[in-house]
Amino acid sequence: MTDSSRLVDPTQIDHTELRTLATYNDIRRLCFEATRCGFGVVAIHPIHCTRAAAWLRGSGVGIAAVVGFSTGAFTIEGKAFEARDAIERGATEIDFVINVGALRGGRHQLVLDEMRTLREAAQGHTVKAIIETSVLIDEEKRLACELAVDAGLDYVETSTGFASGGATAEDVRLLHEVGGGAIEVKASGGIRDAQTALAMIEAGASRLGTSTGVQIAQPMASMSDDLDREETE
Amino acid sequence: MNRTELAKRIKTGILGTDITEEDVRSHFAAAKAYPFAAYAVDLSYLRLAKELLRETDMLLTAAVSYPLGGMTLATKLDQVRFALSVEAEEINATLNLNAIKSGDYDAVSGELRAMVEVADGAIDVIVIPQFDILTSFEKLKTCERLLEAGVCAIKTDGHGGLCQPEDIRLLRRVFGATFSIEASGGIRTVAQASEMLDAGANFIHTSTALDLLREA
Repeated sequence: MTDSSRLVDPTQIDHTELRTLATYNDIRRLCFEATRCGFGVVAIHPIHCTRAAAWLRGSGVGIAAVVGFSTGAFTIEGKAFEARDAIERGATEIDFVINVGALRGGRHQLVLDEMRTLREAAQGHTVKAIIETSVLIDEEKRLACELAVDAGLDYVETSTGFASGGATAEDVRLLHEVGGGAIEVKASGGIRDAQTALAMIEAGASRLGTSTGVQIAQPMASMSDDLDREETE
Repeated sequence: MNRTELAKRIKTGILGTDITEEDVRSHFAAAKAYPFAAYAVDLSYLRLAKELLRETDMLLTAAVSYPLGGMTLATKLDQVRFALSVEAEEINATLNLNAIKSGDYDAVSGELRAMVEVADGAIDVIVIPQFDILTSFEKLKTCERLLEAGVCAIKTDGHGGLCQPEDIRLLRRVFGATFSIEASGGIRTVAQASEMLDAGANFIHTSTALDLLREA
């Protein structure tokens, strides 16, 4: 049972803005909120890394850049280039989408090679492999998680938020169990309230990707924020 | 317009997260029965598609920064160079949509000019402004910039969206025949395809081209 009076640890939240219609101002607000709430990182497209690094200077908040986003249907070399480029621009973590089609098609060596290449390209920074659970069967989820452990990645991550579905507690539990402590689990996609967030953490997630982190971690702060906005409108 | 004539105005392909090599092979095996104008794939299948397309007249289209456009210019150019190395004939590149939504058209011009320069006439640069999320002003402003940069064509949408014939009519009124317009997004029937072509589209894009032609 989830206890709704408990709060999520803000350092476990990857404060996320990946919408195509986001503006620079949305990214600035994201960085401001992350700083104020003490979130671990902001999760953004590489186009915003330089800007976000400037807005986050001295805040202690990191930057997770998404790579191969959102389809993962890019070349291994291309994703490695993108990861290095993002780190040069200030990214401190890499969330890359695996080659989901290769996994589904049984080309597991390619998936493993890609994970190893990204591990290398990230130069010691945290690497998360997004496996897009909503298009996989359980056996494929298990396999992807085992490969990520093999490649020495830091996290296996459920979803991009741009496919047919997001994180489920069952998937998180499965990945946590398969990972057996050798890899952490990030739940992402469709997490919009504290109850869902806590359910993911109970299932074994140690990070949450969400665009509603302010409401999840600091419900009171978010309420006063809404009041501020009403006054200025 | 008969089936063959319609096929020549259609660009098809197979794109997306869960596509396997087998999916590409079987989709292409069915598609090659018609003289489609072009065939688009994600970069992970570009080499495979190059092989498959060898005995057809279809152009090979490489999806760049697809579908969200959130990749840096450096990464986009890396992808354009890869498409050049595989000898694809076209790229479909999603623009920096967040820059458009922020009114930063200089950033848009910067990436347009750089892609045209790297393409150097060896590959057609077709850009995706994602009309679905743009205001009319943003659409026109973006098209102004692409004309200045020497881009030859747009594909209206990449990620979801439903192509509107009014958009195509608007572009034709403002810009005349200065660039090619490829209508994309939710085109599933012959009636929709004809509507887009009548409105002034040069091509239409649809992944379900075979279903569409069966109806023609």
